[in-house]
Amino acid sequence: MIEIKNLVKHYGDKKAVNDISFTVKDNEILGFLGPNGAGKTTTMNIITGYLSSTSGTVKINGHDILEEPALAKKDIGYLPEQPPLYLDMTVEEYLKFMCDLKQVPKKEHKKHIEMITDMVGISAVTGRLIGNLSKGFKQRVGLAQALVGDPPILILDEPTVGLDPNQIIGIRKLIKNLSKNHSIIVSSHILSEIQEIADRVVIINHGKVAAVDTIMDLSQRLSGTAKVLMSFSGPAKDVSARLKMIPGIADVYVRNAGNPGEVEITLAPRAGSDVRANVFFMMAKSGWPILEFRSLNPSLEEVFLSITAG
Amino acid sequence: MQAIFKREFLSYFRTPVGYVAMAIFTFISGFIFYSQFATGYVSMSVEIIMLRSLFIIIVPIITMGMFAEDRKRGTEILYYTNPIELFSVVTGKFLAAMALYLVMFINVFIHMIVVAACGGTVDAGVIGSVLVFFFMAALFISIGLLASVLTDSQIISAIVSFLFILVIQLLTVIGNYCGTAVSTIMSYMDIASDTRNAVRNAIAGAISWFDPFAKTELFSNGLFSVSALVFCLSFALFFLYLSFRILEKKRWSQK
Repeated sequence: MIEIKNLVKHYGDKKAVNDISFTVKDNEILGFLGPNGAGKTTTMNIITGYLSSTSGTVKINGHDILEEPALAKKDIGYLPEQPPLYLDMTVEEYLKFMCDLKQVPKKEHKKHIEMITDMVGISAVTGRLIGNLSKGFKQRVGLAQALVGDPPILILDEPTVGLDPNQIIGIRKLIKNLSKNHSIIVSSHILSEIQEIADRVVIINHGKVAAVDTIMDLSQRLSGTAKVLMSFSGPAKDVSARLKMIPGIADVYVRNAGNPGEVEITLAPRAGSDVRANVFFMMAKSGWPILEFRSLNPSLEEVFLSITAG
Repeated sequence: MQAIFKREFLSYFRTPVGYVAMAIFTFISGFIFYSQFATGYVSMSVEIIMLRSLFIIIVPIITMGMFAEDRKRGTEILYYTNPIELFSVVTGKFLAAMALYLVMFINVFIHMIVVAACGGTVDAGVIGSVLVFFFMAALFISIGLLASVLTDSQIISAIVSFLFILVIQLLTVIGNYCGTAVSTIMSYMDIASDTRNAVRNAIAGAISWFDPFAKTELFSNGLFSVSALVFCLSFALFFLYLSFRILEKKRWSQK
């Protein structure tokens, strides 16, 4: 569990991190989002002990990162934006070195490294120099070093950068699997990725927390009441006029669906109204068959843009 | 610390750095030994004392990348985010450089064996010279390490440690020069010559007090002084501690 309370970091006059507080529960994946320069990397660097905060506290499984650094750091695996790799070492030498740093007992090194290299798919390159590996393999070696020592908390800054689509899917699955017994913070610019794997998201903007919630709740909160998309067969003008008469509908937007005889409209209900049943019965009574009918929740991308705009 | 020591020591042999340093040291020591051997009289103390002049070249080569390289490739973060003490990182790197010097010095040990086998003497003076060599190596390596902590550029790090070591090697000369300069200025102020000489000697003495070469010059005669060794060791520890504090401070930086 990670508890972050009132975290502040000054860089000269600038507040890079301004009173950030949030918690990551056990076995949870938290998506950490924000535009460039919002303070994501600074926050992650403070959580992992690389930087110290100006004020505020970070507790890793109950251990304060500044007061009990050794205990706190033992529980963290960190993959920074630029993987910390020694290019003059082979993958195996590097992971052995990481085992020493993480205080993994010597006799467990071999088995532990085999397990991790299998997990991230780098078993075939363990004997190769890191400097000679492709960007994708280097990224996976970086991920492997974060897993050394089996820390219960993983902090991953852009874990899928440089990977091909198959590898991205593999790493997403791995992160999902790891979440069964790890707390994970994942920062990524690929919002669809966060939407797919994260249980909750924290969006920060200008160093402040702009939103903390599940993606579903954020979407609903942002949209008020979800819009409804409907396509049907019938006269667009008449249908639109009848729909506007239904209580709870604020607005109706008509657009051509592309298929002949098919019209697509978007209904914007008033806050707190669920108009779907009334719309269905009105359409059925009028003899206008509904071809498609679904709620439109904003995507994470729309939520992100809305929260971070300006 | 053991992990850092092992990685750093082996890294000297994964890159040309260790080989270049060893090649320079081996060639020069071999040349000095051969030159003496040809005359029929070999003094190992002379060889070891002459080899001390290589500190100014070898120390910057082996220390310039110690922390500067870590910052460049982003591996510095490992020292801060893993459960290890920052001072053990500094110590591990320092001991790795010392170990490289020990490996380089094997060549000189072989020369000693040859001298002993040929009926020459390896006496207390030689042991004293070896002792001084390693204490000075510790002092200069700690200076090189500090220079590497201070800058992100390996070149600047090498230049800083080169200049620092150069100044230390010339401390007695610098002391005399400063004393004379102050004395000359005082002569324009019509200050009595006795006072001028006293001031000159005081300045020269104060500056040359920091000269480790002057402090240890009797070791090669077999006259050991614990205070001279403590001097080198305490300054080495001071520079290592300073390096540690600077690294620690970077974490708290607000720039």
